[in-house]
Amino acid sequence: MHWEYVIPGYLAVFGSLAIYTVLLLRKARRLAAQVPPEKRRFLHD
Amino acid sequence: MTESQDLDLTPRDADDVSVGRKRLRNWLIMGTFTAVIGFVLFQALTSAAQFYYNVDEAVARRGELEDSTFRIQGTVTSEQAPDANGALIFTIAYGGVDTAVRHVGAEPSDLFEIGIPVVSEGHWEGDVFQSRQLLVKHSESYEAENPDRVEYDLDDTPGYVPDNTVE
Amino acid sequence: MLGVLSAVGVAALLLFGLILSPPDVAQADSVRLFYIHVPSAIVGLYLAFGVTCLGSIIHLRNGSVFWDLLAGAAAEIGVVFAGFTLVTGMLWGRPTWGVYWQWDPRLTSTSLSFLLFLGYLAVRRLDLDPAVRSKRAAILGIIGFLNLIIVRQSVQWWRSLHQGSTLNPVDAQIDGLMLFSFFLGLIALTSVFFWLLLHRFRVAWMEHQIEAASVTTALAARRSEAADYDGLAGNT
Repeated sequence: MHWEYVIPGYLAVFGSLAIYTVLLLRKARRLAAQVPPEKRRFLHD
Repeated sequence: MTESQDLDLTPRDADDVSVGRKRLRNWLIMGTFTAVIGFVLFQALTSAAQFYYNVDEAVARRGELEDSTFRIQGTVTSEQAPDANGALIFTIAYGGVDTAVRHVGAEPSDLFEIGIPVVSEGHWEGDVFQSRQLLVKHSESYEAENPDRVEYDLDDTPGYVPDNTVE
Repeated sequence: MLGVLSAVGVAALLLFGLILSPPDVAQADSVRLFYIHVPSAIVGLYLAFGVTCLGSIIHLRNGSVFWDLLAGAAAEIGVVFAGFTLVTGMLWGRPTWGVYWQWDPRLTSTSLSFLLFLGYLAVRRLDLDPAVRSKRAAILGIIGFLNLIIVRQSVQWWRSLHQGSTLNPVDAQIDGLMLFSFFLGLIALTSVFFWLLLHRFRVAWMEHQIEAASVTTALAARRSEAADYDGLAGNT
């Protein structure tokens, strides 16, 4: 019972987390290419 | 070489128009947030300051509350079948005092049953609390569903008065 | 490492939260929202905004860029988790209380925290001098965290529709497998938070470096232009 609230709740949370993670990692990859080589601190994966 | 010493370092795109536009944008963003936060604070101060009265307090204040709208909290002690108008009639108790409630409006959640605390919004009409919103106030405890479970003991409800229930 | 722990944690949380843990005697399956609602609140409101507050204090004391960027990164993830808290709370409130929303002390103060830190993120994006912007954001970050004391105490200070703390160490009134699922949720979301924080901070740090580099380049360009001008002036 009440799955109609549980499923959207889990979907909203883990769906948003997945989207946020993908966007963040994509942005990270894009930016990493722009950073001047001598400034690459905190950049090791 | 003297001229190159005092370089003009102001950003090139900072003409008057774009500075004004940026400032407007800054003010718009902060203004929106201030307005939204103000609205939430207003809601908090007007409706959350005294979220509800317990049954004993609501009964004691019946005179001063008159027909004003407020919230009342108590544990459901008895329940009747809906009347001809579809109104839900039940009693709630707290602190040794009970009252009849007549609820007309959206059905309460599935958790509504005898022994469960509820918060109801409405007003006094004589001795009966006329409810227009009925919320179930769930406790902090969680228990696995178990077919061998002992049924809820009515005497455990806060303020339950065994001999004083509405017919 | 942290990424692997996060992935395993989330998978285990889904398994226990949705399948292995039992339905509640009164709430049936809606109790499953508990395993993400409460951990989201603890991680988002207290942990993430706690990091923002700490970073803000350190930044105000010594102007540290590192702590300023870390505070900003934590605030963004905190807002995401606070959003989870509100959404799952509303979805839980409907089958339990009967309504999605009430202007209850706990609900109101939590939404206020969400908005304050959303405001914090907006301040960080304002078109201002970076030093001024960071300082203003830091002040808001500390105010936002102070509001969390109200969130924490709201169920004690005022009468609230929201239930109090289940995780009372004296008498935890919660089924064993439910408690386990809850702790699994807490560990999984904490791990996800730190993993995201690492990456979000890295992005902020790179943005900072690129910005600094572009200022240096622009400065160099101006210098060379000025030098050209000097040269031209010298020739005539």
